Amino acid sequence: MKILVCIKQVPDMESKFKLNPAGTWYSDQDLAWRMNEYDEFAVEQAVQLKEQTGGELVVLSLGPAQVREALKKALAMGADRAVHLQDEASYEKDPFAIASAIAAYARDENFDAIFTGMQSQDRGSAQVGLMLAELLGINAVSTIVDFSCDGNSVTAKRELEGGLKAVVKTNLPALFTCQLGLNTPRYPTLPNIMKAKKKEIATPALTAPASLTATLSVAYPEKKGQGLVLEGDVGELADQLLSILKEKTTVLK
Amino acid sequence: MELTREIYWNVGHGVLLPMYLLVLAAFGILGWGFWQRIKVYRQGQKLDRRDDLVGRIAAALRQVVTQHQVMRVAGAGSAHGLFFFAFVLLTIGTTLVFIQADLLEPLLGVKFLIGNFYLLFSLVLDLAGLVAIVMLLGLLVRRYLVRPEGLPTVWDNALMQGLLLAILMTGFVVEGARIAVTELGTPLAAWSPVGLVLARALAGIDEASLRSLHSGSWWLHFALVLGFFVAIPFTRFRHLLTTSANYVFADRRPKGSLVTLDLEDESAESFGTATLADLSWKDILDSDACTYCKRCQDRCPAFATDKPLSPMQLVNQIQVVAFTHPEASLPATVTSDVLWSCTTCRACQEICPATIEHVPKIIDMRRNLVLMEGEFPGEEVQKAIDNTEVNGNPLGIGYASRGDWAAELGVPSLAEDAEVDLLYFVGCYASFDKRNIKVARAFVQLSQAAGLKVGILGKEEKCCGEPMRKLGNEYLYQMLAAENIELINGYGVKQIVTSCPHCFQTLSNDYRDLGLEVPVQHYTVFLDQLLGSGQLRITAEQFDCTYHDSCYLGRYNDLFAPPRNLIRAAGGTLTEMAKSGLESFCCGAGGGRILAEEKLGSRISEKRATMAAETGAPVLVSNCPFCLTMFEDGVKGAGVEEQLAPKDLAELLAERI
Amino acid sequence: MNALLIAESRQGQLLPASYETVAFAQQLGAETSMFLVGSPQSLPQYAGKLYLADADQAGEYNPAVHKQLLLRVIEQEQPDMIVFCHSSYGWDLAPRVAASLSVAQVSEVVDVVDGGFVVPACNSKLRRTVKPQSSPAVLTLQSGAFNLEAPSGSPRVESLGIDVKNGIEFVAYEAAEKGGVDLSKAEIIVSAGRGVGKPENLEMIQTLARALGGEFGASRPVVDAGWTEHNRQVGTTGQTVAPKLYVACGISGAIQHLAGMKKSEFVVAINTDKDAPIGEVADVLVVADLKQLVPILTEKLQS
Repeated sequence: MKILVCIKQVPDMESKFKLNPAGTWYSDQDLAWRMNEYDEFAVEQAVQLKEQTGGELVVLSLGPAQVREALKKALAMGADRAVHLQDEASYEKDPFAIASAIAAYARDENFDAIFTGMQSQDRGSAQVGLMLAELLGINAVSTIVDFSCDGNSVTAKRELEGGLKAVVKTNLPALFTCQLGLNTPRYPTLPNIMKAKKKEIATPALTAPASLTATLSVAYPEKKGQGLVLEGDVGELADQLLSILKEKTTVLK
Repeated sequence: MELTREIYWNVGHGVLLPMYLLVLAAFGILGWGFWQRIKVYRQGQKLDRRDDLVGRIAAALRQVVTQHQVMRVAGAGSAHGLFFFAFVLLTIGTTLVFIQADLLEPLLGVKFLIGNFYLLFSLVLDLAGLVAIVMLLGLLVRRYLVRPEGLPTVWDNALMQGLLLAILMTGFVVEGARIAVTELGTPLAAWSPVGLVLARALAGIDEASLRSLHSGSWWLHFALVLGFFVAIPFTRFRHLLTTSANYVFADRRPKGSLVTLDLEDESAESFGTATLADLSWKDILDSDACTYCKRCQDRCPAFATDKPLSPMQLVNQIQVVAFTHPEASLPATVTSDVLWSCTTCRACQEICPATIEHVPKIIDMRRNLVLMEGEFPGEEVQKAIDNTEVNGNPLGIGYASRGDWAAELGVPSLAEDAEVDLLYFVGCYASFDKRNIKVARAFVQLSQAAGLKVGILGKEEKCCGEPMRKLGNEYLYQMLAAENIELINGYGVKQIVTSCPHCFQTLSNDYRDLGLEVPVQHYTVFLDQLLGSGQLRITAEQFDCTYHDSCYLGRYNDLFAPPRNLIRAAGGTLTEMAKSGLESFCCGAGGGRILAEEKLGSRISEKRATMAAETGAPVLVSNCPFCLTMFEDGVKGAGVEEQLAPKDLAELLAERI
Repeated sequence: MNALLIAESRQGQLLPASYETVAFAQQLGAETSMFLVGSPQSLPQYAGKLYLADADQAGEYNPAVHKQLLLRVIEQEQPDMIVFCHSSYGWDLAPRVAASLSVAQVSEVVDVVDGGFVVPACNSKLRRTVKPQSSPAVLTLQSGAFNLEAPSGSPRVESLGIDVKNGIEFVAYEAAEKGGVDLSKAEIIVSAGRGVGKPENLEMIQTLARALGGEFGASRPVVDAGWTEHNRQVGTTGQTVAPKLYVACGISGAIQHLAGMKKSEFVVAINTDKDAPIGEVADVLVVADLKQLVPILTEKLQS
């Protein structure tokens, strides 16, 4: 079986974000980078599928040179080789452009299964995976929290609202976007980390259409007008808070 | 009358040949028995412990002869020590007899077991024999009647007790029978008081029967001694040689030293300890040197809080695997729960009278679990590891704010200004944890009050890697270490001070293997020096307290005095806990466990907090961010938060500038 | 401006979130039509043209079928924008439609400003203003960002014929394990987030909830870590709540969580981080360590 997993490198969400000079995205100063959390589950599921069926797992990422670190982690988790669609200003591409670039690569590769994270932690559009499936003309199931494959048939559970899940079935080839909690991403063993250093990272040419969405500006969210911030000694804060609750709500008798 | 006795009286010199032949045969079996065991040790990896071999042997002899480590614990320890001295005297006595009777007298006609020397000789040996029997009986009562909990008793013990008692008692019977025939009524007999008592009891028997009793007992005594030699390698008697050998090959590196794995080694198929063959020969010898005294188990904080870890059992399991099924998986035999429970407090190694190295074996098995299986004690630990890989600290806080605690304190990062008197290596908790930031500030205030310029690495500083290393993640540890060392060396740092004993141990010891040569001190030593020289002055203000010796400052580095000096200088009236100094009881956070949830048994931190509360002191002083964190939780969990306030020593000192 | 609004239905019932698209269109002053795969027995109160496909024939959820139907309607209506809710239905169907049409999609709109749409980024720590440069453009709306006060009207229904083409087979719904707790009805909720640190600390949050006479809730990380059951989870994939008082303890305010509790009347956040995104929706942000503050609050409430 031939499997593809698409990952993105994003800043760690605990970082304090500053704006880039153009005001169109966050500045990449003082940021710690990591594989998009949703993509970790995708990589783990892809590796599990590869272990179950034998075959080859390719990991792909579109982004600047530093995304190689994320690719190496995926290789250490069990991917066989990597594809790096290099783009130093990848944040300027909108989801459709990214999906198109990946589709251009994947079209002739005939992957049986493709995994992506359900959304990225920085932009969070939740579009690339499903657009990619559409461009490749294959079925797609989004937001999966359960996955099992029997031959060519996959049964997956989608996470809906309010704790509800939907059980769906599809044949391969298909694409799956992964939700948090789908599995437990493995910690790479040392031999695998060492082997990963020797695995191939190819850098084929990147072809993508122009972006269809323009970013006008990026800013910090405004604090709500009546948002009160209380600081100080804990005992006094408790008294203050309780008197506010008595005054502004009806919950305290 | 002549003050001597006829050696080989009644049995005759004809016994010589069969006696020595049989002894040779017995030694042959003893040698063969040990050779079988040595072959098992050799299944382990090579390890060179031959440095200063002469010094090692001398030290080992000293340890064996003085029984120093054995007698450190009163009761059974004293009894064993006395028994040992007595037995040594008896052995020396027998050797003197052999030298005279089989060498000097027949070859040179020389006799020295005569006159006053002989009288002394007789008395000393009689008393030795008596002491030996009394000690043995005492130990027998302890093992079989008192039955201390956790003391493993097997058939070996009954055999050993029985054999030794029989040897000693038959010895007295031989003497008693001889005295009854040859010395009764003479002043000589009084110099063998025990024998004399026996002789008087046998006095009524006719000489012929006494002679039969004598020679019969002589041969029985001899047979038992042969039995003893033969039994040595096959029973717990083997400790006579294995424990002594263990002294010779003890770990002489600084305490807590670990092997720095060569992770680039392409030929290495496996890392850490998976099977017996991954252990060193010394590890396997360790398991054979164990005397099952359970002192390690008695002091293990995990064992004391109902976790499945017993250092003694772990070592014993290695022995069982080594000698019965060496291909077994050691981590699986010992089990993960046991391995992850260890806090690396070293209480086991510190007290072990056989100088067994428990902790490195545990860490090596953890290395196998982490590096080869990707296994951790829990998901929260994997998350902490992930956080460290991304942000250089297990708390997962953005690295860019690591130096923010020092804003407005006049502490430059070395990137801004490398001309500083000392680099304060802050550590993750003092950088990010609100409670511990107070300690960092206190240390800076104290240093500045002494007129020193303090610098930090700020956002360039990464976790020293200690918890990761102790959890077995040698790879992540080496990566963090390499980055820190490159930075420190790049800035030309001359002196490093840290407020965390784990950082201290790691930078001053572990990092030496990876290229850091800068001197490192823990702040208690540093401040003690400043106070001593007068460069720092504080105004003492009286307070009552108790003090917790952290494992990594105390047992690992023997730093007990400097913190106590500081407490005194600050005006503290210190009430020591029962378990202090080398016997201090761990807070529970070592061995990387600060990152893990405590799911088994009861909480180590609460147990220690209760011990502190029992002193009646209102303040629990510590010197480690992990201890402080554990005690803040521990006093709440133990329900003593009203009576006991955890404080770091630096905070108390800073209040008194 | 012409907007095609996408309504949702599940198991024969119209989902009320559908009205958020109507509110959005009203704010823009756009003319609208609506698309729904649902039941003729459960139609929206909407005074406009409704393209309806019967869910019994189209299938409970089959993206290929829904997409085909929608593309046909788009072809016919030629809207300037196609508006979905950013729900498990919307975020699944919208990109497929956008890719089929090779047009721009803007996800999770929270506001409209001159010339553009505002969307959150980086866990709500940032706001982006974007402008789609295609016609039509596909939009999805953040849950609860646009609210319709009083839906009214009856739709003019145009039925859609379905030629079924199989893609994904829908097997069944699986309800969450019911623990008897329906947070959506609670009047007071005190929630625990990752800031509690350890499962043992949940108890103090639960005690505070009891002291206030309310229910205990949790954010996703707490549930994912197994510290409490899923039916305590507040957020897009948990329960959506609208209590009189919502106290968020140690919750940073990820979008998914905010979406689940934004409709709360009064929000108190207890967090050591002054800049936590939860501050955006909080009426009061108390900068404190919850492990210290919560027990004190409980004590004062109980005395």
